[in-house]
Amino acid sequence: MLESYVPIFVMIAGGVIFGVVMVKLNEWFGPHRPNDEKLSTYESGMEPIRSARERFSVKFYMVAMLFILFDIEVVFLYPWAVSFKQLGLGGFVTMAVFIFVLFLGYFYVWRKGALEWD
Amino acid sequence: MVDQALLSLAKFLPEITLAITFCLALLVGVIFRSRPRLSMWVALLGVVVSIALTIREMGITESVFSGMIAVDPFATFFKLIVGSSAIFIFLFSLYSAEVLSTMKRLVEYSSLLVAMTLGMYLMVGATNLLMMVLSIELTGLSSYVLAGYTKEASDSSEASLKYIIYGALSTGLMLYGISILFGLTGGAMDIYAINRALVTSPVNPIALLVASLLIIAGLGYKISAVPFHFWTPDVYEGAPITITAFLSVASKAAGFAMLIRFFKIAFIDSSAVGLPAGIWITLQGFEWNKIIAILSVLTMTLGNLVAVWQNNLKRLLAYSSIAHAGYMLMGLAILSDKGIAAVLIYFVVYMFMNLGAFYVVMLVSNKTGSEDIDSYKGLGFRSPFIGVSMVIFFISLAGLPPTAGFIGKLFIFASLLDAKWIWLAVVGAINSVISLYYYVRVVRNMFLRDPDENSGPLKFSVPEIVLLLLLVVPTLLFGLYYSPIVDFANASARMLGVH
Repeated sequence: MLESYVPIFVMIAGGVIFGVVMVKLNEWFGPHRPNDEKLSTYESGMEPIRSARERFSVKFYMVAMLFILFDIEVVFLYPWAVSFKQLGLGGFVTMAVFIFVLFLGYFYVWRKGALEWD
Repeated sequence: MVDQALLSLAKFLPEITLAITFCLALLVGVIFRSRPRLSMWVALLGVVVSIALTIREMGITESVFSGMIAVDPFATFFKLIVGSSAIFIFLFSLYSAEVLSTMKRLVEYSSLLVAMTLGMYLMVGATNLLMMVLSIELTGLSSYVLAGYTKEASDSSEASLKYIIYGALSTGLMLYGISILFGLTGGAMDIYAINRALVTSPVNPIALLVASLLIIAGLGYKISAVPFHFWTPDVYEGAPITITAFLSVASKAAGFAMLIRFFKIAFIDSSAVGLPAGIWITLQGFEWNKIIAILSVLTMTLGNLVAVWQNNLKRLLAYSSIAHAGYMLMGLAILSDKGIAAVLIYFVVYMFMNLGAFYVVMLVSNKTGSEDIDSYKGLGFRSPFIGVSMVIFFISLAGLPPTAGFIGKLFIFASLLDAKWIWLAVVGAINSVISLYYYVRVVRNMFLRDPDENSGPLKFSVPEIVLLLLLVVPTLLFGLYYSPIVDFANASARMLGVH
């Protein structure tokens, strides 16, 4: 039964070998001429200010979480917009309820002060 | 399809009411921020309306939303249990020092309680595997947050975290079981379709056993059956008492409703002929009722034996509620409508006595700030009415006449003996005797021990006493005049699609 999986194992092995070999070849044959500029953190051309290993304020997580939440919910609007005509009134009412609930959540978040930075 | 959905909506009014109530409670809470109690009243009103609408649905047997949810007497019965305990919990919360100490989160408290109630309403009617998982999750997510409601207390946060970890694990196991079942039956999601597939083309019994054990793990966690009970004592101890009471009654009721419906519909031999009315048999080669019987023995024995050692009353009641889940599981193992009806009777009784016991614990801890058995020393003299009520609840929990608890046990044991499950009945009876010991231990503390020297009488307000009476009176009354609940339970044992 396992025999039918042989091509998959071959594929996986091939992938691993190819990846490792390419990286190692690069390491062995490529030139190494490091300097300060090359070894510093790449910040889109800006001078790095200090270490990146710091604690972040929990506010960032709050904003990120809210963004993901609303972003994903808004994505639901696209398929609806595309097939708006076929779905007709039923689709419109359903989506209106959905958007109402979405706004309710938004309103709650807003009034609770989760969007205020300070 | 839209027309069909609209028709279904008309049979879905209690749930819609709860969904709207959830939104309204949040809205009112964030608009009138200076009056947080307002959203609690809105939530309470919404639950009352949903119960009224549920009562209107009595007697209807129908499948709504293309087989997702059943509206039948069985579901209606459990909706009433869940809804009325939600009302009791809201009333308790009005007097709970714990809940009122965090006034600014009262909005979340009331709206999440409504969301949890909605989840349970869906749980009791779900006839599709997807709907089952979704409704369990809705109930679960709300209860994880509520268990950690008093987040300033470290044991409350601990309770919440433990609850969510166990919850995630058991849902994962259940989903795995569901996926196996899904594969075995060739892609059936509807529990009726699963039954048809299993009856027409028998499958590998080992695979079916594994799938059903995994599903039992998920549902057993909800009803806190041994060996899936480990979260129960810690969560019950750490969560606010109102939430503990709600989890111990409503969450368990919803879990039981789902367990009974799922096993009774999916795993019986519906092609069997010549059976007496109200009796069913398991699928050939798969006697799941033996598993349920073993679980029930484990559950009640462990619950009762460990409860004996508890000194915190919330923990004691947690183990006692595990034991009660064991008694109720016996009713399902019998495979008869009589057994199911006995479980339903037990739930009515259990609601009153268990909510009552937790309410007394709440009242006492409001005054003394402690849930320790030692703080109940001489309670019978410090506040005779509270003491006597607690004795009534405990006698009822132990299952002695003339209280309602006796009636609950009586019907379970009667249906066991009817079905010749003598050994199980004997185990249950021995367990009842063990349980008497730890209940009486508290009673002894209340009446046979003198109160500490500097503790005066405890005074309670009139509404608090009235609320207590609302629980004491049914506990006594149903012990003497039980025919209404028996008739109601017998009428409610009917499920959609089972003859």
